[in-house]
Amino acid sequence: MKNEYLPVRVVIEKIIVESTDAKTFVLRPEDKTSGILKYKPGQFMMLSLAGYGEAPFTFASSPNKDGRFQISVRRVGSLTDALHKLGEKDIVGVRGPYGNTFPLEKIKGKDLFFIAGGCGIAPLRPLIQYLFKNRKNYGRIEIIYGCRAPKDIFYKEEIKSWQDNLNTNVHLTVDEPDESWGGTCGVVCVLLPKIKVNPETSLVFLCGPAVMIKFAIGDILKLGFREKNIYVSLERYMKCGIGKCGHCYVKGKYVCLDGPNFSYTQMKELGIDS
Amino acid sequence: MRMKRLFITKENLEILVKHLKKSCDEFIAPKKEHLDDIIFGDAKNDGKELLDYEGNSVISPRAFLLPQTEELFEIKSARNNRFVPIEDKKRRVFYGVRPCDIKAVGLMKSFFLDEFVDEFYQQKLENSIFIALACGKRCLSKSFCHTMGAGPVASDNFDLQLIPISRGYLMEAGSEKGKSILKKNKKLFAKANLKDEKEIKDRSRHFIEKDKEVNFRKLAKLIKEDKVRQEAWDDIGLRCVICSGCITLCPTCSCFSVMDRLNGDKGIRMRYCDGCPYAGFTKMAGGNIPQPQHKDHIRRFFEHKLNVDVERYQTPSCVGCSRCIQTCPGNISIRKFIDEVAGIK
Repeated sequence: MKNEYLPVRVVIEKIIVESTDAKTFVLRPEDKTSGILKYKPGQFMMLSLAGYGEAPFTFASSPNKDGRFQISVRRVGSLTDALHKLGEKDIVGVRGPYGNTFPLEKIKGKDLFFIAGGCGIAPLRPLIQYLFKNRKNYGRIEIIYGCRAPKDIFYKEEIKSWQDNLNTNVHLTVDEPDESWGGTCGVVCVLLPKIKVNPETSLVFLCGPAVMIKFAIGDILKLGFREKNIYVSLERYMKCGIGKCGHCYVKGKYVCLDGPNFSYTQMKELGIDS
Repeated sequence: MRMKRLFITKENLEILVKHLKKSCDEFIAPKKEHLDDIIFGDAKNDGKELLDYEGNSVISPRAFLLPQTEELFEIKSARNNRFVPIEDKKRRVFYGVRPCDIKAVGLMKSFFLDEFVDEFYQQKLENSIFIALACGKRCLSKSFCHTMGAGPVASDNFDLQLIPISRGYLMEAGSEKGKSILKKNKKLFAKANLKDEKEIKDRSRHFIEKDKEVNFRKLAKLIKEDKVRQEAWDDIGLRCVICSGCITLCPTCSCFSVMDRLNGDKGIRMRYCDGCPYAGFTKMAGGNIPQPQHKDHIRRFFEHKLNVDVERYQTPSCVGCSRCIQTCPGNISIRKFIDEVAGIK
């Protein structure tokens, strides 16, 4: 019988430096038929590094047929520190996919609005890439992405190309601009007046620091966006990813099984601000 | 349908135990240990098992299914992330398990085999036989197994159950495994008579507390809808000193963490029991704690047993063994909490 805790081996094919403390890893399972490749936008995996344990990471690229996927990782703890020290061709373990997906049916034909802060762009990227692959199925797309400084912006080249899509707007802002920065300064909420989607019918997806989510939701509710149409990707400490270890439990729900993507209506039921 | 209970004498029970010991690798039974504490341990070879005993063990047999530390994988090569699951195919007989702990095993089984199967838990269950020993007396003044639908006689989740009566024991099978043991040893048994059943019935009455019938669905709803007095939660938060006694002794606590131990390129991935009262239980890399308040941590223990599991398994996962009450230095009592919320004075 399959042991759910047994990681499958994946090869680090490529490492892309995203910012001073973040890297994107392009991973390829040794087994081309591995179930991990059957993930959908919004799901996550448990990444295993022998000696450091396991930690959850959302897939940061849209599912495709080339047998590869990406994760973007900030160096914040012991496991991520060790991961950052690895090089191309090194081996890590993964298991999954776990968790729920973004509401892929519900978004069809709708205007979509993304608000990301810092590395919070990573969990939203699979969905954004997925939308652009099937562009005609969706309405207007607005993306607000805020970072601390210009050097902290992830996927710089790709984000530029997002702007080229039909009926799409990407807005960037930073807290601490440098000489090269000619764009907007301040928190993500300063960009809200520029958003041209119908608040009553569009869906919003947020991911970022707790404090950003809290203020952004407050502001967009004032603009008339509906609670049930606001989705947040939550981050929690996890040790198993399959509803056993208990760490990600919130009021009867497990972020790993019932999430990590929750509507704001659900979040309120769970008593989570962000 | 339940199988008829059979009568067995104490002498024949000893013979049955001998037979059972031959067919297993570990005979996990209650033993009298240091300071007369009753502790479950392997008695296959030392013969120190208690056929019958008063009260309950200090620690429930949970310790054998979800040990404090458990080796999950052998790390063959850390550099190459090669893991090999550690098998535990030992055939174990759990003898003399109290009905409260039997109900707990049933709940833990549902939990670990639900949706995603926990292979490490399952492999131990598969090769285990559970023999319950019904209670004749209330074990502790604070225990409340009857209120929680767990005792003094188990209703399911056992392979075999022994019920003490004045002239010996009645034994019943609760599974195919149990039935086949009875069949193999049928010479040791005789028919039970009506008097025996009446004796069990009469004795069970001592466990029923007057005017005490708790509607657990209603209780769960009150907790879910946040209708429990804030002061009740605050009081629990104040009293909890995070000694971890409750989560260590609770037969239905299941939270764990995972860690790796390396020696060069080889090592072990293991899990160890963890629990919601600990301040760092939900702490993420980078230091963020989603629920930073201590009183919310211990509150979770109560919510889980009395609300979440009622929704999930249609029964609370507190089995009324009272180990947590007995051990708590802050005198927190889940029993008093139930009484208060359910409005029982």
